[in-house]
Amino acid sequence: MSAGTLALLVVWGTLVGLDLVSVPQMMIARPLVAGTFAGLLLGDLEAGLRLGIVFELFQFDILPVGAARYPEYGPATIVAVAATHWLGHEDAWGIGVGLGLLVALFAGSTLHVLRTANARAVRRAAAQLESGDVRALARIHAAGLARDVTRAAFVTTTGLAAAWLLWRVGVAGLPSRVFTLSAALGGGAALAAGVAGLLRIVGRGAGLRWFAAGLAGGVVALWIA
Amino acid sequence: MDRVNAPSPAAPLRASFLRLFTVQASWNYDRLLGVGMGVAEEPLLRGLKRDGTDGAAYRAAVARGARFFNAHPYLCGLAVGATARAEYDGAPPDEVERLRTALCGPLGALGDRLVWAGWLPLLSTAAVAAVALGARWWAAAVFLLVYNAGHVALRWWALHAGWAAGTGVASALRHPVLQRPLALVGPAMAFVAGVCLPLAARWLVRPFPLAVAAGSAVVAAVAVVLLRWLPGRVRSLWLGMGAVALGLVGGWLWR
Repeated sequence: MSAGTLALLVVWGTLVGLDLVSVPQMMIARPLVAGTFAGLLLGDLEAGLRLGIVFELFQFDILPVGAARYPEYGPATIVAVAATHWLGHEDAWGIGVGLGLLVALFAGSTLHVLRTANARAVRRAAAQLESGDVRALARIHAAGLARDVTRAAFVTTTGLAAAWLLWRVGVAGLPSRVFTLSAALGGGAALAAGVAGLLRIVGRGAGLRWFAAGLAGGVVALWIA
Repeated sequence: MDRVNAPSPAAPLRASFLRLFTVQASWNYDRLLGVGMGVAEEPLLRGLKRDGTDGAAYRAAVARGARFFNAHPYLCGLAVGATARAEYDGAPPDEVERLRTALCGPLGALGDRLVWAGWLPLLSTAAVAAVALGARWWAAAVFLLVYNAGHVALRWWALHAGWAAGTGVASALRHPVLQRPLALVGPAMAFVAGVCLPLAARWLVRPFPLAVAAGSAVVAAVAVVLLRWLPGRVRSLWLGMGAVALGLVGGWLWR
């Protein structure tokens, strides 16, 4: 893989990381979008779509409300796609899922560090903010954005380095059944996350009835397709 | 404060609208969205510099605008527009503060229901179902286009509605632009989510031999039970890592 592609992956991961909270929240941070585009960059759309769907299912279990702490699945999906592509086995996406989940956990913890650093900056400039100093306001805002750019780039680069390391230490040479079983069980867990998360969003009453109707429709679509 | 004539709104509203896309860039545990709100509101407040107090009213309004605030990011414009308008209308500072405080809860709850638990899962489950039925990269592209048509329109409407309403912003919350989609998006999302899950399940297990697919189904069933009956104590991320680890060990031992 060329250095250019790697650089593009880092840039894409940084944009995806920024989109989650800072700017512009247009949902390129959704795993399906992040993974599909990473797959296109790597010339491996199949891996991009598969990991995109798997992490989208995990994402359904997250409601990003208020000051809640949650894993960050956007850059994690990009790392998982890269790992799957580099390992080269058709079922390597299970290992990609495992690495992606670790990266998601790590990325979520960096969000906490970022918010704490932003809070410290706000506290330091409290007097200026209370006097209506527009320059201080703009400086704090821009610094928060710069911190998030750094954070997202760091998370993506670290994740991609870990993916490269997996390939370098010879994980690609593991028996085929290791790939198959990890993919099957990881996929099962993703499906469970999707079911639990969507049921929580749907709630009870009329929502649950619509969900049941949709479930029946989905089963019919399975027969037809 | 005396009433000050509000400026011609087009240019400041455009600037404020663009800044609203960065409203969470300085999100922090002290003021949450407050600093971003102040940054977004500032262009609308520049007309206060002309009130004859040597910019004191402007600076005081900027300071109020940057205090603690929390709401759904797409609906923050409603509060930005309403509080800026209230400043021009001569509302006393404590009334502006009360307006900001009063808007936090409703804007948060409304945005969560309309976007995080409605529009977003509706379209993302539809995109997942489309890929499971054979769609390629364009499923993600269509998702982005349609989602953002609604997203940008909501942000634009919110800012303009807030600016038009000022302290009477409560009427904007009852506007059909919000209430009609709210009534429709929940059932639509629930239906599409139901359609999506069996399609995604088959798509995920299709490449595997029957015995392995059965193992995947067992893991899924056990994990759903744990996630539904032990919420908060069991997290899907840890279950996922456990399942992959089990697969790695099981695959290694499996002869």
